[in-house]
Amino acid sequence: MARYIAKRLVYMVLVFFLLTFILFVLYQMMPANRAYTDAKNEIMTMKRLSEEEKATKFDELYLKYQRLYGTDTDNKLVLYLRWLGLYPFYDGHYSGIFQGDFGFSYDYNAPVVQIVPIHMRNSFIIGLITEIAVLGITIPLGIKCAVKKNSRFDRFTQFFTLIGFSTPSFIIYIVFIVFFCSILGWFPVSGMKTPGANYTGFKNVLDVLHHVTLPTICLTFGSLASITRITRASMIDALNLDCIRTARAKGLTEKVVIYSHAWRNALIPMVSIIVGGFFGTISGAMILEQMFGFKGMGLLFLNATRTADYDMIMFLEVIYTFLGLFSNLVIDLCYGIVDPRVRISK
Amino acid sequence: MNKKKENIFHIIARWFVRCFLGPKFEEKWFYSKKKEGPGEIKFKDGVPDDSELIVSPGRQIFNRFMERKFAVFSVIVVFVMFCIVFIAPHFMTKYYDAFTETTQKDLPPTLSLMKVPGDLAGNIKMIDSYSSFSVGLSNDGKVYVWGVGNIGATGINIKNIPDAVKNARIAYVAAGQDHIIAIGEDGTFYGWGSNRFGQYEATDTVRSNPNLEPVPDAVVNGTLDVSHIKKVTCGYQASAILMDDGTLYIWGNKQAYANMDKFIGRTNIVDVDFTLNYVVGLDAKQNSVYTGTKGLYAKVRTQLAGSKTEKMADFLDGRKINEVRACSTSVCLLLDDGSIAITGDLPSDVVEIPTLAEGEYFIDIEAGTYHYSGLTNLGHVYSFGGDHYRQAEAPKVNGAKKIFAGSFQSYAVDENGKLLNKWGLKGYLFGTDDRGANILERVVAGGRITMTVGAIAVIIEIIIGVSIGLAAGFSGGAVDIFLMRVAEVFSSIPLYPFMLILSSLLAQVSMTTDQRLYMIMVILGVLGWPGFAYITRAQVLVARESEYVTAAQAMGVKPSRIAFKHILPNIVSVILVNMTLSFAASMQTETSLSFLGFGVNYPQPSWGNMLSRASNAVAAINFWWQWLFTSAILIMTTVCINTIGDTLRDVMDPKSSNDK
Repeated sequence: MARYIAKRLVYMVLVFFLLTFILFVLYQMMPANRAYTDAKNEIMTMKRLSEEEKATKFDELYLKYQRLYGTDTDNKLVLYLRWLGLYPFYDGHYSGIFQGDFGFSYDYNAPVVQIVPIHMRNSFIIGLITEIAVLGITIPLGIKCAVKKNSRFDRFTQFFTLIGFSTPSFIIYIVFIVFFCSILGWFPVSGMKTPGANYTGFKNVLDVLHHVTLPTICLTFGSLASITRITRASMIDALNLDCIRTARAKGLTEKVVIYSHAWRNALIPMVSIIVGGFFGTISGAMILEQMFGFKGMGLLFLNATRTADYDMIMFLEVIYTFLGLFSNLVIDLCYGIVDPRVRISK
Repeated sequence: MNKKKENIFHIIARWFVRCFLGPKFEEKWFYSKKKEGPGEIKFKDGVPDDSELIVSPGRQIFNRFMERKFAVFSVIVVFVMFCIVFIAPHFMTKYYDAFTETTQKDLPPTLSLMKVPGDLAGNIKMIDSYSSFSVGLSNDGKVYVWGVGNIGATGINIKNIPDAVKNARIAYVAAGQDHIIAIGEDGTFYGWGSNRFGQYEATDTVRSNPNLEPVPDAVVNGTLDVSHIKKVTCGYQASAILMDDGTLYIWGNKQAYANMDKFIGRTNIVDVDFTLNYVVGLDAKQNSVYTGTKGLYAKVRTQLAGSKTEKMADFLDGRKINEVRACSTSVCLLLDDGSIAITGDLPSDVVEIPTLAEGEYFIDIEAGTYHYSGLTNLGHVYSFGGDHYRQAEAPKVNGAKKIFAGSFQSYAVDENGKLLNKWGLKGYLFGTDDRGANILERVVAGGRITMTVGAIAVIIEIIIGVSIGLAAGFSGGAVDIFLMRVAEVFSSIPLYPFMLILSSLLAQVSMTTDQRLYMIMVILGVLGWPGFAYITRAQVLVARESEYVTAAQAMGVKPSRIAFKHILPNIVSVILVNMTLSFAASMQTETSLSFLGFGVNYPQPSWGNMLSRASNAVAAINFWWQWLFTSAILIMTTVCINTIGDTLRDVMDPKSSNDK
């Protein structure tokens, strides 16, 4: 098992470097030249210079800034290694993600490491509540549908999950906003707290809750349908296994058959969804956060993409890639936990 | 044969069928009522007929599929949707992506734009219209309003005619973009609708705003001599009253009409009208269109097609202009000899000015937003000019004495005020969007793009995924491991962030909208193939162990031939199921991306970007039609595609059908 994990880790690191390299090279294609703009700005502040002096001075400054930012070469690999912190800058110092320097957000005027955690926390809290609510609703529902397959209840649920599954999430959000904000007026439309009101203590908590409730409900509803369908399908497959027939033949109670024998088997294909869902909470829900103006990871990423906030996008990409790879590893390990056969074969 | 007593109707029906359809149908419909039990064996030529018992797998799947009513219904719906979005655009010859129309913004679904009230249709005195509603005045001085009454999200309904107007006898009415003015026979001035730009009431806020011209006191205080009024007309957010003696009262939003100052207080005006941006007038000399801006309407044309223009003075050659009538960007001149000419810009899609018969000449011209309708001395009507909503295609009318036009409609009326005919835009089935475009047309055109993107993306996914899956599964060993690692790398790319980056990168590269569309298809396809690769590989691994492959190998068939000719046809069903589900998923991804603004961009419509306005809660509730129909059609289509996929999987999987 340990060997397997080690193998996976090595592989993960390789893929991580490969992906970040691809993304890095893609980013280099963006027409943003920080050294150039900074040099230009500094030239503007200098007065009483002739055109010629300006030109030479500009070249000097441009080179200086290029060396400062480490962009004094066109070699993509060198640039990438500098970004990682494995290749020295012009003055010999190392400054990259291995040194803990993830870059500077020009949009927020602060190092990216300071900005991201707050957003990540917001996304994580709302995502976690959603995930627990979703699993709490869908798993019993899916099991019930599978056990009472083709009953009226099952058909009813199937009908609604089919619609929910086929509806792009943002339409569900629109409907909820129209219903709860515009028609009923129960919840505010966007934001994290009432603008201009500086509540403290318990009142502040209530205010934040008031703002966060609807996004949470929306996010929950958005993923109910697909997970119910998956639970039902894997449970139906599990109930058709020979071991279930044997269990019933032994005279076990239906409860034991379903929850102990069938559910254990149904869990195997569901591991990736459950674990992946928990990791997904950190990445944030892009469309939802955009619609509600919810300050989470998704909105941060969207805004960074819109304003071409280079270091921010790169840092978020690193987080996303890492999360993706790490969750794959955890999923594989969880397979081992729920399925003894996998454990042995490794 | 069944010798039960038949009733008379049964016999007649039987004879009827026999007579017209032949004995075969008679037997089929009337004598084969007896049900055959399932265990009964039919005989054909003396041997048991088992042709219906043994069916090919394809036939069996088809039969099972046809048993599911909802699935069959879904197939029909998807087929109809396909037909609509791919064939209907060829019939929408007038449609183009970037169409905008300021006066038709945010209209709800309606077909009442041309619905003249029944009480009015018999005795029309005048009709006027500028945007989405029309106002009519009957000969006995009653005012009627039809069309869309709600003014945007302001909550004002222009159909609520004030009681004072209802009780008074009205002499003149005119309609603007969002207001109506009326003048009573006793000279009282009335106005209703929006007054944000001082359209009809000189409030203190209006007076204090230098950009607004308040209603002149002479108009408001009731001293207006109704018998000497020559013309009452309204523009976008402005209005004008012209007297016999050439005195002009003009007021409203000066930001919409920058040259209004030149007209305030003038006393030598013969005619006046409003284009979208200019007040146009005719001064006492009657030899040019006066706008206060030199050279704006200096060149005239008598043919809409081609670019042949003449200088105003050369064209007039001593003749005088009697009337000016203004569309949104052009002006029509009616000369004293009954001939007409156009000056200004016209849209590209026009109906040509008609050539009249000998002795026939125009006696009146009225202008809509883009079209003109003219009345001749013989009582015939003609329309010409912009024809986007077919408003310039006049029917044949005889005996017309008056003609009215406005917005996208025209009305021909006889001497008693009876409505003879009306033509133009009836309304919008799905309403209009925030740019004034017809949502129904955009739904059709957007569906074409959304479905094409989904389909091409899936095809790319299949081509890459299936070939890699086949190669990996069939070769095994190092190739398998390598290809699966590659697939894993692709599937661990976070989809949305990566798409956003790619499309924002592509936004920097200058490319046409079509190229951008192709790029979106390719990105969706390239990021989505690992799913197909996994499925194909798993199926190939199963198929590789089966007897027919062993047999083929033993016969010395080439590996590539085994892969493509023997294994692929056997796993096609699984790919088909996943193709259907993946098609719906690609459509959803595309709509989500376009909704966020990173997919298909305006002016190209897609079901995603058409919904982007609904992310604003206020717009979502006020302009519900702008998202409701589009999302309903999108959901219906994806539900049906998913149903087909699910059903296909069920009927193809022998395991799942056995325990049904």
